[in-house]
Amino acid sequence: SNLLLIFLYQVQAHDLVICEKLSNVIVDQSLKDQIFSREAGRICYTIVQAEAKQTNGNVFRRNLLNRLQQEFKAREETRKRSTQEWVCLVSFICNIFDYLKVNNMPMMALVHPVYDCLFRLAQSDALKNEEEVDCLVLQLHRIGDQLEKMNLQLMDELFNLLRDGFLLQEDLSSMGHLLLLEILEFRAGGWTLSETAQKYYYSEVTD
Amino acid sequence: MWAGLWASQFTTPPLQCHVTSTLTYENDCKPDENGKKGASRWSHCRKRGADGNLRKSYEVEEPGKCSHSSRRPESFTTPESEGPVSRVKNWGDEVEAEEMRSNVRRDMHRYRRRILEADFPQRDRKISSGSSDSRDSRDSKESPAKGDLETDETTLIRRQKQINYGKNTLAYDRYIKDVPKDMRQPGVHPKTPNKFKKYSRRSWDQQIKLWRVKLHAWDPPAEEGSDLQQIEEIDLGEIMDFELDVECSADTESQCPTSSGASLLETEKFKLKDAT
Repeated sequence: SNLLLIFLYQVQAHDLVICEKLSNVIVDQSLKDQIFSREAGRICYTIVQAEAKQTNGNVFRRNLLNRLQQEFKAREETRKRSTQEWVCLVSFICNIFDYLKVNNMPMMALVHPVYDCLFRLAQSDALKNEEEVDCLVLQLHRIGDQLEKMNLQLMDELFNLLRDGFLLQEDLSSMGHLLLLEILEFRAGGWTLSETAQKYYYSEVTD
Repeated sequence: MWAGLWASQFTTPPLQCHVTSTLTYENDCKPDENGKKGASRWSHCRKRGADGNLRKSYEVEEPGKCSHSSRRPESFTTPESEGPVSRVKNWGDEVEAEEMRSNVRRDMHRYRRRILEADFPQRDRKISSGSSDSRDSRDSKESPAKGDLETDETTLIRRQKQINYGKNTLAYDRYIKDVPKDMRQPGVHPKTPNKFKKYSRRSWDQQIKLWRVKLHAWDPPAEEGSDLQQIEEIDLGEIMDFELDVECSADTESQCPTSSGASLLETEKFKLKDAT
C-alpha cells in the first residue's frame, strides 16, 4: 500500500487537488493502521521532496499539516472513542515530526503539540493502559533526544510525571512498570541504554 | 506582560503577544527563576511539589481542561518576531513561515561569506552554482560596506516573498534557460534585486516592479482560453502586498510582447508544470 500511494502521487503529481486528497488518504490510513502510522512519515517526506522538486510548491505538506492539526485538536474525543486510533494519531504526529524537517531542523510548530500528546499519555488514566504506555515509550525512543533539544524544560517535566507514575501509581501493570523503568534509564543514559541495561531488558529469559 | 488566559487552543490570544514560535506568558502559574516551584500545566497531577512537600489536593483534572494554558515556555532559540501575526494560526502557515525565516537566514550566512571572500579573493575559488539573489558581492562598486547590510528579518522576508513571486513564473523559468548567468549583460537582462542591500521601501518596490516588467519579455506566447489566468488574477490581488500598476507602454526599458496597456495581472502566467 505504500508503493501504491507513491505511484498515485507520481501519476497525478501535477494535479493540485490530488495533494489534498492524498494527504487525507494518508492521514486516514495512519489512524487505522498502527504499522502505517509509524512509517508514514517516510512516505510523506518522499512526497514533499518530490513536490518541491517538481513544482517548487508545498501544497501537500500544507494540506497534510492542516489536516493533522484538525486531528490533533480532536484528540481527546478520539481517545475516548478508540485507544487504537489515539495511539495511531500520536505515532503519526511524532513520525511526521521525525521525518519532515525544515532545512534540516525539526518543525518548531510541532514541538508543543507533540509534547501535549506525550503529556497526555503520561497522565494516570493513560498510564494504566499498556497500549498507551507502549506508545509513549516508543515515541520517546524515536524522537526523545530531538524533543529534548527543542525544549529541555518540558522534557524534564514529562519525566517527572513518569517517575511519579512509576513510583506511585497503583494500577500500573507489570509491563507498564517495566516499560517506564526502561525509558527512565534510557533517558538517564543520554537517550541510549548501557550494555548491561540492554541485556537486562532485551535478552531472552533463560530459566 | 499580559495577563490574559489562553484557556484552550481554540481561542486566540491577544494579537500583540502572539509571536509565531515562542512565547513565555503567564496565567495564574508564574514561572520563577528555576522554573520549577511554580505550578506547571500538569503539576496538579503530581502528588508532590518540586520542593518535596505533598500537595493538598491530588486530583487529575479533566483532560479537556488541561490544554494549552501554560504550555508556552521559552524557545531554546532567541525569540524573534515577524511583526503582527494573523490570529488564526494553522500548522501549514506556521511551517511555511519557519521555512521562510530559515531560508533567509541561510541566505544571509552565504551572502556574508561571499562578501568576505570578495575582500580576500583566492585564485582558485570556484563559483558556487547554487542559485542566489545576491551574487554581486564581487563588484566592489555595488557591494555594501560590511556594516551596511539589511538585516531586519521582517524586511528580508517581505522582500524574499516579492522575489519568489517573480521567480515563480513561466517567464522567469524561460529566462534562466534562455540566458545563462555568465552571458547576462547589465541593463539588458533582468537582474534580481539584492535583498541584502539597504534601500528605502519605495526604492525596493520600484526595483521589483522594473525587474518583473523586464521579465515579461520571456513570457510564453499567449494562449487561448486561459481561465487559469482569471484564477491567478484573484490570488495575486490577495497575496501581493504591494501594488502592481505598471503600464508596459510607459516604461521605455521594458519590452511587452503582448497587447500594450495590459496590466501586469492579466498577463502574468504562473508556472504550473503540465498545466495543459
